[in-house]
Amino acid sequence: MNDSLKLGITLRKLMLIFRRDFTVARSYRFAFVINLFQALFGTASFYFLSRFIASPTLQKSLPAGTNYFSFVLVGVAFFDYLSVALSTFDSSLQEARQNGTLENLLVTQTSLPVILAGSSLYPFAGMSLHTVVYLGWGALLFGFPLQGANWLGAVLVLAASILAFSGFGILSAAYLLVFKRGNPVNWAILGLSSVVGGMMYPVSVLPKWLQYVARLTPVTYSLEGMRAAILGHASLRELLPSIAGLFLFAAILLPVSFAIFSWALRRAKTTGTLTHF
Amino acid sequence: MENFALSLENVEKYFPAGTSGWRGFVYPVSQLTVPALRGISFDVKKGETLAVVGANGAGKSTLLRILTTLLIPTRGRAQVCGFDVSRDPAKVRLQIGYHTGGDACFYSRLTARENLTLFAGLNNLSARSAAQRIKELTEPFHLGDLLDRQVRMLSTGNVHRLGLARAMMHRPSVLILDEPTRSLDPLAAADFRKFLLREIVGAHGTTMIFASHTLTEVEQLADKIAMLDGGRLVAWDTLHGIKSATRVSSLEESLEILTRHIARGKP
Repeated sequence: MNDSLKLGITLRKLMLIFRRDFTVARSYRFAFVINLFQALFGTASFYFLSRFIASPTLQKSLPAGTNYFSFVLVGVAFFDYLSVALSTFDSSLQEARQNGTLENLLVTQTSLPVILAGSSLYPFAGMSLHTVVYLGWGALLFGFPLQGANWLGAVLVLAASILAFSGFGILSAAYLLVFKRGNPVNWAILGLSSVVGGMMYPVSVLPKWLQYVARLTPVTYSLEGMRAAILGHASLRELLPSIAGLFLFAAILLPVSFAIFSWALRRAKTTGTLTHF
Repeated sequence: MENFALSLENVEKYFPAGTSGWRGFVYPVSQLTVPALRGISFDVKKGETLAVVGANGAGKSTLLRILTTLLIPTRGRAQVCGFDVSRDPAKVRLQIGYHTGGDACFYSRLTARENLTLFAGLNNLSARSAAQRIKELTEPFHLGDLLDRQVRMLSTGNVHRLGLARAMMHRPSVLILDEPTRSLDPLAAADFRKFLLREIVGAHGTTMIFASHTLTEVEQLADKIAMLDGGRLVAWDTLHGIKSATRVSSLEESLEILTRHIARGKP
């Protein structure tokens, strides 16, 4: 089998898994409507919260022509991609264990990494839809500025962010394979990123040493790039440092996480705990 | 070696001792010290049906999981159609179909057809081949009325037939069944056995290995019987051979005699 055929088959498998998740999600119609309104409540909360926040330091740190509401809406909407990346791989593994399909999936001609990658497509697509709804409510009801945004740049930053964040997600799945419950990988990365990543406030308001720590988390680059593209109307050239930073994280995290995941998988097949939960 | 569908040579499997509390935290990766299989060797010819019997914890499921590549043997060599389960797991998976007796092994909110199409795709069948194969399996597996219903709406017996159809979608050379009638009522189990005999053993000439506690099933389906006890292979023969050796007329009595001999240390 040549490489292009292999790639074609893998892509078809990814789409099959995506279609599976879409079909399952479609069968829960009411949940979709609830999500739509949940996003509205979230957006409204940030809008009213932003009306109380008036700090000269904060105002100085925001991109020109924007306000705290826009800043925090982009921060929260795109920070959620990190949450999805961290949870999607291990939750699809856990779900397959619980509904009894894991063994049947593992005896097919599809490797576990492809199964997990396929299982992450729908959550990421769902997250994108969720983000569009978030920003849509913001624009429709609370004056979130959509004009002049560099959407191509935003998509590039998002793609690089997903790659970088997925490294953490694969590490998290590896942890779950070995230890079954509780996940300090998720806890540590989400906790640290929410403090230093610049979701609710600019990184510049942090103490100097925490600003250095912020530079070691990909979410910082992701949110900076996203805000620059959507709110600051930055060009692709201006977005390059954020995108390059994210690709650097991906280049380091993905091979390391795959190696650890392969070890964990082999370990689970050796100890017989692959399908335990 | 190529004439054998399954070939095991001195297969051993050890699991780690269970740890809990602070020990589990301090020593998360424990040593493999608990034996599950010890020195298992046998060959199964193409087209033969092998039943694996033994008490709970004898090692039946461990043996089957090694053959499906879900477990890696600690020592020894296990081959399926000439491919080693540790070195060529992907090639082994191409040769096998696997079905367990559990009834929660599908995506319950997908239809039977959607489930079959998904698993066919994961086994490298194109959409067209999958559709064609579903058509071929519909009549013998009595799937006609079930295909477009969500799996959660199907009876346990129907889910089992669907599970078997899934295992046969990619035309495997070896079918591996772990307690296939475990969750079926006696009538449904009898029906399922007839179905296996007619559609798998009789019609396709597929090699089959199954673990079972139901001796009727073993008598009806198996060409050879392997009895495991404490992870060791303590008996390996045809039904007739086992009955002759123990000089009784029923398999149940034969296994009782064998078990008593083993307990006295005379395998």
